[in-house]
Formats: sequence, C-alpha cells, structure tokens
Amino acid sequence: MSGQRLQLVAGPFGAAWRAGLAWSVVFALMIVGTVAFWPAFRDSSDLGDLLTELPPALLEAFGMEDLLSPAGYLRGGLYDVVVPLMFAAAGVMFASSASAGEEDAGRLELWLAQPVTRQAVFGGRVVAVLGWLAVLAVVVLASQLVSNAAFGLEIAGARVVETVALCALLGALYAGLAFAVAGITGRPGPVLAMGLGLALVGYLVAALFPLSDALEGWAWLSPWDWALGTDPLVNPAEPIRYVALLAGAAALLAVGGIAFARRDVRSA
Amino acid sequence: MDAHVEHPGMPGDPFPAIRIRGLVKDYGRVRALAGIDLEVRRGEVFGFLGPNGAGKTTTIRCLLDLLRPTAGTVEVLGLDPRRDGVTLRARLAHLPGELRLPERGTVSQLVASIGRVRGRLDLRRRDELADRLDLDLGRRMRDLSSGNRRKVALLLAFLADAELLVLDEPTNGLDPLVQHEFLALVREARDAGRTVFLSSHVLSEVRRVADRVAVLRAGAIVAVGTVDELRGRARQRVEAWFAGDPPVAELEGLPCLAARTIDGRRFSAVLEGPIQPLLDVLGRHPVESLVVEDPDLEEAFLDLYAGTPR
Repeated sequence: MSGQRLQLVAGPFGAAWRAGLAWSVVFALMIVGTVAFWPAFRDSSDLGDLLTELPPALLEAFGMEDLLSPAGYLRGGLYDVVVPLMFAAAGVMFASSASAGEEDAGRLELWLAQPVTRQAVFGGRVVAVLGWLAVLAVVVLASQLVSNAAFGLEIAGARVVETVALCALLGALYAGLAFAVAGITGRPGPVLAMGLGLALVGYLVAALFPLSDALEGWAWLSPWDWALGTDPLVNPAEPIRYVALLAGAAALLAVGGIAFARRDVRSA
Repeated sequence: MDAHVEHPGMPGDPFPAIRIRGLVKDYGRVRALAGIDLEVRRGEVFGFLGPNGAGKTTTIRCLLDLLRPTAGTVEVLGLDPRRDGVTLRARLAHLPGELRLPERGTVSQLVASIGRVRGRLDLRRRDELADRLDLDLGRRMRDLSSGNRRKVALLLAFLADAELLVLDEPTNGLDPLVQHEFLALVREARDAGRTVFLSSHVLSEVRRVADRVAVLRAGAIVAVGTVDELRGRARQRVEAWFAGDPPVAELEGLPCLAARTIDGRRFSAVLEGPIQPLLDVLGRHPVESLVVEDPDLEEAFLDLYAGTPR
C-alpha cells in the first residue's frame, strides 16, 4: 500500500478512535455482564416454570423459547437484538461521521484538494470504517469466549465465531447503506435517519413477520433474516448468507462511491 | 454573455494558467456565477477581488473540481479539472477560505499527513516557513487560534511546491507582521515563476502584490485590468485637519472630490480623480495632518458595482 493510500485509511481510522474505544468497552461490558448471570439463571427452577406458562408465540417473538439452554440464553440476551442492533448502529455512526459528517463540517475539502481521486478519499474512509467493525467483532468474540469459559456457559466456539461474524457483516451492510446515503446527499441527518431507521425496520421485519402466516414468507426481505435466520448459535449458516450480506454491502458502497464522484462537494 | 468575447487587457495567451469561459454555476434556483470569462497568465499574481458572496469561492471550487460547473468551461494549467483532476491538483496548491482543518494531532502531524498524500515533504522548507510565519509546529491543532490556523493553511500552500497557488482570502485574521511575510512569500513565488491566484475582499492587500486584478460582483466580472489601471478608477478617502478653518470655498471648487464634509477643523471627502488639485489647495493652507486611505472595496468601485459600463 502506498503512503498515500495508507494515509487516506489511517487518517479517518485514527480520527474515530474515541468512538471505537467507547463501542469496544460497551460491547465488552454488555457481554461479560450478560454471561455473568448465566450460572444463577441456569440454576433457577422458578424461571423455568414461568417460561413454560407463557404463550409460545410470545416467547418465540422475543427469542426466549429456549432460554434455559446456553444457545437460547445467549440468543435471548444478546444475539437476537442487542448485538446485531449495536453492530448496525456502530456501522451507521462510524460511516456517517467519516463521510457526511466530515463533509458537512467542511473538513473533506482539505483532502479532496490534493492529488487524489474522490473515490480514493471515499474508499479510504470505507476501509477505515470496515476496519473498526472488524476490531469490534474481535472484541465481541474475545469477550464472549472468555466470559463463556469464566462462567461455565458451554457452547461450541464455532457457533459463537459464526454468529459474531454474521452480526459484524450485518453492521457492514448498514455501514454500506450509510455510505450510500452519504455519497448521494453528503448530509449526516439523512444518513443517520436512513441508516438507523432501516436497521430498526429490518429488525422488526425479521422478528414480527414470522409470527403472521401471511407475512412469514417475506421475512427474508430483512437483512437480519439473512444474517441470523438459521439461528447460527445452534446451526451452521449457509454460505449464501455471507454472500448476500457481502454483496449487499458492496453494492451499496459502489452506489455511494459513484454518487460521491459525480456531485458537488458541499462547503461548510 | 458571449463566452468568446475577450476582455480588454486580456490578450489570448496560448497557455494561460487559468482559462475560464462562460462559467455558470447554479445552486438550485440561485445563480452563484452568471457567466464568467477570465484568463490568468502564467507567472503573474492575479487578484480576484469582490465582496463576500460575490462568487469568489465558488469560482475557486470549480478550479479544484470540488464543484461541477452548470455551464461553461474551466481549464487550469491546460488541464480539465474534472478529467485530469489528480494530475492538476498535484501541480496546484489551495488555501481554502473557510478554514476547516482536522482537530486531531499537532501541526507537524497534519503537515506530514498532507505530505504523505502529496507524495513529498520538504522538511527544511517546512521549518523555514514555520519560522517565517512564526508558527509552532508542535502545537496541537485543536488549541490553535483562527490566526494560527490561517498560518497552518499558508504553510501547507507554500510548502506544496506547486506551479499554481490558489489562495482564497489568505490573510483573513492574520496580524500585520504575518501579512507582510505573506506578501513577501507571494512575491517570491512569482519570482520563482509560479502563478498566484489570490482572492480577497481587501483592496489594499491585492494592490500591494497583484499584477492584474479582476473585480467580481454578484457572480459576474465587472472589471479586469492592471492594478494601475484600476487604481485610477478606485476612489480613496481623504481626511485633512487644518490648523485653522478649512478653506471651504477652494475645497468646494475641486471637481475631484465628492461627499465633502466639514466638521470644525476637520475636512473629509472621497477622492474620485487625480490628487494633485487637492494637494495644491492643501499646500496653500496650514494642514496639521492628512490621511489618504483605501476605502473598502465597495466604496472603491462604487461605479462598477452600480453597474456602470466598463
């Protein structure tokens, strides 16, 4: 990698270190905090009785139908909603501040006035954001594996690796969406609204459509279903799920890059 | 406006540093540039004068391919900013009018970052410029005052070793000593054969250094010429303090003065023509002090701004 390319990645990567550190700490605390309650939860017979009395549809909607197994506990507490949502939010927010946020503040101009293409500047920021998502994935994975061992939560490491990877790719897809909106508009407001809004819609579609006979067949519309539809904490995910997430992210990033190269750069 | 009309004083240079023809830029329904024609010769210092909002920054952003023209053509160093942007920007240095520099790290870290992107960094030149601009390279960017940020931008522009320097309001917020140093840097750049395109709303600054000047108003060029040509057309403010009562009748009789006011021993007016007749009158009476100063830009080119034909 040339010094120029390296700088165009390292600059925005370094500029996000506070946010990256904050997300890492929150992810780690949440995972360790959740797994720490596993021993008490497992040994509580009252809770098991309560769960058998609740309607199965309700339990399914909240991913709690198998709450007393290690996989069910992790899914209900972390991987059904919280972790994928946090990855999506982190992806959107990193992407927004690296692209539209910087453009809105007028700070992109300094780089765009140098002998580089718009695509190189945009691409450098994409790589920096994907780099932070990879860091977060490693933090989540490490926190999960270490706390599993520490609190006796027994689940195959391969299931955890796959689940975390799919959640991180979901984050990359929403980062791609944010970059696409940033490439088109250059405004952080629409980027955050579209990114976070569609992350929420994606979750609702994946969680609620399966509850209705009429809508069940449409749950695949949500990228959440692509990522977590097979319940990767229990079953291996088909390769097509990775391909779908990666291809979706790549397509959105291409849209953003092309749009950014074709329009006026906003001034502060 | 016909894009092919040559302005007076603008002979067709086969290889001008900047050639703009019929440049129009609309932001939605707002027309920021209404058909600009401009030619900047290689090796000259060209002043681009106009009040805030006249379209100076918009023009400059078109040169850098940050903006895409609505109509017209822009050629910089013989290159199309859109098609040959990377090659062009390697030969051009830009000092932005709105200084939005990164907050992170120190001045020298920012200089090094830009050096990596540009592919070269002359450390000796960096230190020399920092010394001349009285800029501490070890300061943290977030702690810098606006004047010091301007110095950072100046350092980056003059460090780039570019054929063409495009400087947008470069002296805003600089103290007089640094302004002086800046003008010296501009002259050195010209002496080294570089072209300097200098936008400003301060007439005196451009006067002191530019070879030729264009005056922009509301997105259109209203005058182009050498500084001397425009100096003849510019108004100046005159203020004289007499030892006794001002010679009212004599002053009233001078056709070169407008907007005369007499306030006790103080006489002030706007000078619209040669100064000699006024000096003759003043020479015949005891004058305690005399100030002749550049008015602000709008006052100086009132006629041009009012739309009087060139």
